[in-house]
Amino acid sequence: MIKIRSLVKDFDGHCVLNGVNLDVAAGDIKVVMGASGCGKSTLLRCLNRLLDVTSGSIHFMGNDITHKDTDVRQLRQQIGFVFQQFALYRHLSVLDNVTLALRKLRGLSRADANEKASFELEKLAMIDHRHKYPAQISGGQKQRVAIARALAMDPSMIVFDEPTSALDPIMSREVAALIRTLNEERVTILCVTHDVALGKVLSDNVVFLDRGEVKAEASFDYLCHDHPDAEVRAFFGRGESR
Amino acid sequence: MLPFIEILATLAEGVAYTVWVTVVCSVTGVGVGLTVVALRKLEISSLTIFLDVFTYVFRAVPLLVMLFIVYFGFPSLGVKLSPLLAMVLSLGVIAGAYLGEVYRGALQAVDDHEILAAQSMGFNRWQILLLIEFPQMLRFSFPGMVNEFTTVLKYSPFAYTVGMPEITKQAMALTGVTNQGIEIYLAAGLLYFAIYRILLLALQAVENYWRIPGMKPL
Ligand SMILES: Nc1ncnc2c1ncn2[C@@H]1O[C@H](COP(=O)(O)OP(=O)(O)OP(=O)(O)O)[C@@H](O)[C@H]1O
Ligand SMILES: [Mg+2]
Repeated sequence: MIKIRSLVKDFDGHCVLNGVNLDVAAGDIKVVMGASGCGKSTLLRCLNRLLDVTSGSIHFMGNDITHKDTDVRQLRQQIGFVFQQFALYRHLSVLDNVTLALRKLRGLSRADANEKASFELEKLAMIDHRHKYPAQISGGQKQRVAIARALAMDPSMIVFDEPTSALDPIMSREVAALIRTLNEERVTILCVTHDVALGKVLSDNVVFLDRGEVKAEASFDYLCHDHPDAEVRAFFGRGESR
Repeated sequence: MLPFIEILATLAEGVAYTVWVTVVCSVTGVGVGLTVVALRKLEISSLTIFLDVFTYVFRAVPLLVMLFIVYFGFPSLGVKLSPLLAMVLSLGVIAGAYLGEVYRGALQAVDDHEILAAQSMGFNRWQILLLIEFPQMLRFSFPGMVNEFTTVLKYSPFAYTVGMPEITKQAMALTGVTNQGIEIYLAAGLLYFAIYRILLLALQAVENYWRIPGMKPL
């Protein structure tokens, strides 16, 4: 689904991504981990062209989306995004948060959009809250709405940027389990996080990103106990104590 | 001696003009203010400089000067304006300059993450402006808007200088023939206060209707 090759991104000479290679196969779940500031969000933003890459290529469903003539809006509709800060539209009800893009981008009637949105909200156990507003629901519930909002567009894949970082441990586990369930239903997922516990729930393997480079792609066990670099072992060791 | 109630009744003939000037100039102000913030969004530096100058000038020059330029100055250019249009082009546009600043501040209260999320979903910048930013901005700027509308009401008496028979004009005319200045201007003040109260109630009703459930005022 996604094939990233030698991706370089710098901001005014300051190199944030330095030759990243990454593959995500259809139906797969890929977890990218790394310390704060290592370029995780930057990587995701290159993927949907919120940022233009400096060099390298990103193939999405066979097309190099770094090309100038890529239909960016089409691309963005195919990649669902879920953020750490939930980013629900504060002035819209839960239901309208999910229907907005269906109505304004897909041109669905309100009735059809409501039906589609209700289906997704039902799936995420948020249907009873559909008339509430973002300020009236908990963080975990907000994240479920954000996921429903992404799913409603029937994206080819969903990208998660630190989906649990703003949640308490119980809600984190809930959201982690949810993401895993989605993948079991064959939704392609790319998740970046520095939450080791989340990474472990999602996948046995993890891509370790360090200062803009993929340092390792290996199992948690290996990274935690056997990786030659003590810093890497320490990073993944944090998850052990939980 | 005219009884107070009769004074009120006479002045009340000007109420419709006062309300009309206030409403039309306020609506103009909202339109101008929205246009200013929308144009700022284009981030064209020459346009932004123009908007800065516009905002600066229209907030700095006294209303009466602006009104006289428009009403007494423009005819020399061959443009003859009605009193209402002259008020719109002075008071209305000045209100717009102030509201543009009110909106600019409120726009900053819109969460960047929501805009990022909307961009990521594939909305273009005008859709984001109309569907996300403006609806929130208008709610956040409500107190500022109410303030500005009140100011417009209180500047509306200047309409008498270009011959509009609003409340203050009626009061002046009546003082000329009765010599009951205190009662007359007291009655005028009372009418303005009544208009102010009704305006406020109406705006509060709108604000309550548009309030985002569960959200604390900023
Ligand atoms: N628009 C930008 N202009 C300049 N530098 C930027 C920009 N965006 C990000 N950076 C820099 O790029 C680096 C990586 O940022 P990024 O947001 O990708 O990190 P991250 O891995 O997502 O971190 P976190 O875990 O804190 O979210 C940081 O040093 C940041 O300062
Ligand atoms: Mg980040």
